[in-house]
Amino acid sequence: MARYGMVLDYKNCINCKACEVACKEENGILMGADKHRIWVGTGEIEGQYPLLDLTSNVFQPSQCQHCDDAPCEDVCPTQATFTDENGVVRVDVEKCILCTYCMNACPYDARYIEERTMTVDKCTFCTDTRLARGETTTACQNTCPTKVRIFGDLDDPNSEISEVLRVREHFSLKSHLGTNPKLFYLT
Amino acid sequence: MEVEISRRKFLQGTVAMSVVGATAATSLLSNEHAAPEKSGSVSFHATKTGTGKSHDVATLCEMCVNKCAALARVEDGVVTKLNPNPLFPKSKNMLCARGNAGIQALYDPDRLKYPMIRIGEKGEGKFKRVTWDEAYKAILNGTDKFPGLSKILDEEEDNRSSMLFCAGEGMAEHTFKQFYQAFGSANWLNHASICLQTVASGYGVTLGVYPQADLENAEYIIMAGANRAEAIVTPDTMDLFKRTKGRGAKLICVDPRFTNTAAKADKWLAIKPGTDLAFVLALTYVTLTEELQNKEYIEANFNGYEEYSKSVIENKYTPEWAEPITGVKAKDIYTIAREFAAAAPKAIYYPGRRSTFAKSDFQLRRAMAIFQALHGAIDNEGGLIFGSKLPLKEHEGLMPLYDRAQARAIVKSTDSKGHQGYDDCAVVSGGGSWISWRNHFLEDKMPYKVRGMFCYKHNPMMNMPNTTKTAEMLRKMELVVTIDTMPSDTVMYADVVLPECTYLERTDPVKTFGGVEPSFAVRNKVIDPMFETKPVIEILKGLTTKISKPLFEISKKHDEELQDLIDEEGEEKAYTEFDLTLPFVHSQEELNHHAVAMYIGAAEKLHHDGVFYPKQDEYYKQLAANKFQYYPEKKKYYSTRGGKPKTPSGKVECVLGSFTAKGIDAMPVWRDEYEFSVPAGKFKLLTGRHAQFTQSGTSNNAMLRDLMPENFIWINKRVAEQKGIKFADMIEVSSSIGKTQLKAYPTEKIAPDQVFFIHGFGEESEELTWAYKNGGNDNMIIEDHIEPVYGAAAMHETNVEIRKV
Repeated sequence: MARYGMVLDYKNCINCKACEVACKEENGILMGADKHRIWVGTGEIEGQYPLLDLTSNVFQPSQCQHCDDAPCEDVCPTQATFTDENGVVRVDVEKCILCTYCMNACPYDARYIEERTMTVDKCTFCTDTRLARGETTTACQNTCPTKVRIFGDLDDPNSEISEVLRVREHFSLKSHLGTNPKLFYLT
Repeated sequence: MEVEISRRKFLQGTVAMSVVGATAATSLLSNEHAAPEKSGSVSFHATKTGTGKSHDVATLCEMCVNKCAALARVEDGVVTKLNPNPLFPKSKNMLCARGNAGIQALYDPDRLKYPMIRIGEKGEGKFKRVTWDEAYKAILNGTDKFPGLSKILDEEEDNRSSMLFCAGEGMAEHTFKQFYQAFGSANWLNHASICLQTVASGYGVTLGVYPQADLENAEYIIMAGANRAEAIVTPDTMDLFKRTKGRGAKLICVDPRFTNTAAKADKWLAIKPGTDLAFVLALTYVTLTEELQNKEYIEANFNGYEEYSKSVIENKYTPEWAEPITGVKAKDIYTIAREFAAAAPKAIYYPGRRSTFAKSDFQLRRAMAIFQALHGAIDNEGGLIFGSKLPLKEHEGLMPLYDRAQARAIVKSTDSKGHQGYDDCAVVSGGGSWISWRNHFLEDKMPYKVRGMFCYKHNPMMNMPNTTKTAEMLRKMELVVTIDTMPSDTVMYADVVLPECTYLERTDPVKTFGGVEPSFAVRNKVIDPMFETKPVIEILKGLTTKISKPLFEISKKHDEELQDLIDEEGEEKAYTEFDLTLPFVHSQEELNHHAVAMYIGAAEKLHHDGVFYPKQDEYYKQLAANKFQYYPEKKKYYSTRGGKPKTPSGKVECVLGSFTAKGIDAMPVWRDEYEFSVPAGKFKLLTGRHAQFTQSGTSNNAMLRDLMPENFIWINKRVAEQKGIKFADMIEVSSSIGKTQLKAYPTEKIAPDQVFFIHGFGEESEELTWAYKNGGNDNMIIEDHIEPVYGAAAMHETNVEIRKV
């Protein structure tokens, strides 16, 4: 029992895409740019050469936010989407009927269609791979060159993630929607 | 600040690096993945890691040159995941996108699988599968299509230099070089002259070494012409970007393009290509005239300071002078010089590692090194560092004396004006000048006949300017033997193809990594070689066993010195000096054991953990999920010489008198011909790298291609609009030597008189499912301009035209 979350020191991100490949290799995800559990978003540069706005070009790693109040879970007619005992939002492939309501409901666009099982897939925090083997990091955290991510148990006051959230300012994506994400971006 | 990016936007971004808002992108993508032209579905090895039995093997990555430490997870004999190995101080528990995608290199269905010999026309790519023995025999005796070594060496009267040896960078380059040395040729070419020759040499002659940069502790960094966010170097990339943007290190990025490094910088200066030397000279002018330099350091450690200082001041290299030349504002130059001095010695003008782009590059690197040294920021924490290196026991090679072997095929200058060097560059380094050598060979200007070549892990067809000439060279070579893992464009021109296994299937020579935290690391074999492939050491063992005696017979016939030796000592004893098999008698594992024998427990530790340094068990600690200690702070080698340069004189060399005789400026000075100019209607072609591909070496990697399907040409948005060019329109780019085609990416990240695209795409080998005719090949259009000091390829001297097709 834990309540897993992730902190992203996103200013470290150089958009090298190591996390995207590590995730695909670890979790056996199919090829295709539309089949990524995690990605790095970018904003197009503003201004006219050479007077470009450096602050307009931000790299923002993103993925399923593992919301405490997950809209995807609410809309699922077969309860295929569920929050597991560790607070991880997951999809039960036996129950999923590919109605794609969850894909529309997700404010973070974090879900995609897995073509081998024809179900909806998403980030699992490496639950059935790394965590199942007793490892304590996700593939994306472990491989990151500039160490953007810290993964851990939000309920454990002594965990590194809890410590960081106590001392560093942070924000959540689309916090106004009240989804209570468990991904936190450090300012 | 909150920036919200949707997956949909991300999808578009994937098509052309960071192209967002490009409307054509999504349909383009889905087409490619829905209907791959060539058996695309089988070109990808999807592995989900399991929870059952597995073991980890400590290895070193070879997806680029960095050699980051990895742990390969093996389940049921299959490599299912490559994870970072936290023990290595150089890579600090990271693997980049390419490192993670190494599995796809191992399981690439297009890999070379067995030895082959050519049965079609040269370059046609028609081969016949043969056994290893048949391949070796073909190299020795030839076939009806090509001559073998026996014929060539006999006809050239045992001139061993009639064979060229060339190799790309890699841990086993050393092994291949031992074959070259034993064979007795003097013609060796490696990647240096199309890579870091001028920067390594510029710093080498000025500071005595090409130093490392302590980016973990520097407080001010000028990064000019280097792109560490995209051209990843470990540990520099990891150290730097955790601290920029007001978090401890101020980063000034100087680059004609708005790169990812510019995006992470505190200030970006859009300099005109090839004018960095003027920028550095102006910084130096401010330092000297405002007396910002470290006088104590200069007093103790400089040669020729007065002369250089006088030159910079009397030539009036003021920021106002530099502004129109560089496009960088004078006030910015003043500010940067002052800020740099204020932060020194924790300040770095980053040396960079990039290819030579302009003809002034050698002088630029000298000026950078001197500017750095003026502040005393040499051999110190937060400055440029020499570090320490753990010594390895060298393995003795074999270097027979072939009396008939000619010296290196380089042509001395016949210039009557006292130019003492070679006819198109002043100095020829160990790695040679690839372009100069190739062009002389094509123009029949060699001092003797070179008739064949051995090519190891090297792709001349893709790696150097003017592909058309390289193809001509390969066609003209009577015997081309390639040792490679992939059917590259160069392999298509081979007469004999010897398939090497990938880096995950072999043990390579143990290597010592110097720096602030020195260590040994080794690449251990993860799984047995697949198909009929072998590590290069075993390939050379087999080859030398086949050719050694027969080639000795040829030497006996032509080499009078050898005949005398045989008369004196008898044939059997004489042969021991010419036995080509000797360097390959021991296995790589045995050699590695021997190399570190003086360190107790090192061999076992390297085999098991991949990394070793003295007191590792005591020093190494995991401090947090992402943080490791390799050496305690006090034990790090920030300063090893008290700031004293490593030149023979022990001083920073401002003036190189000996270079004047070779027609080279003794000090960095600006020359009018360095100025940037582009004829109206044309564009200066820039090339470069990014974080998802390593030149052409990874061009067929299915996973990496998934991140970036092809390269795009950057065209200034306003220029594109004028020309009616939209995103993903097909563009023909042409120069005086050729043309290539690729899709357009209109952007404000590039100047209106320049275009850019990433190197390494557009291969022509039909055996490469993903890379074949994918994107544009820069070397089809980059003209073969030669940098005048070391003969390096100057890659940003070409003007091109663009046309929508």
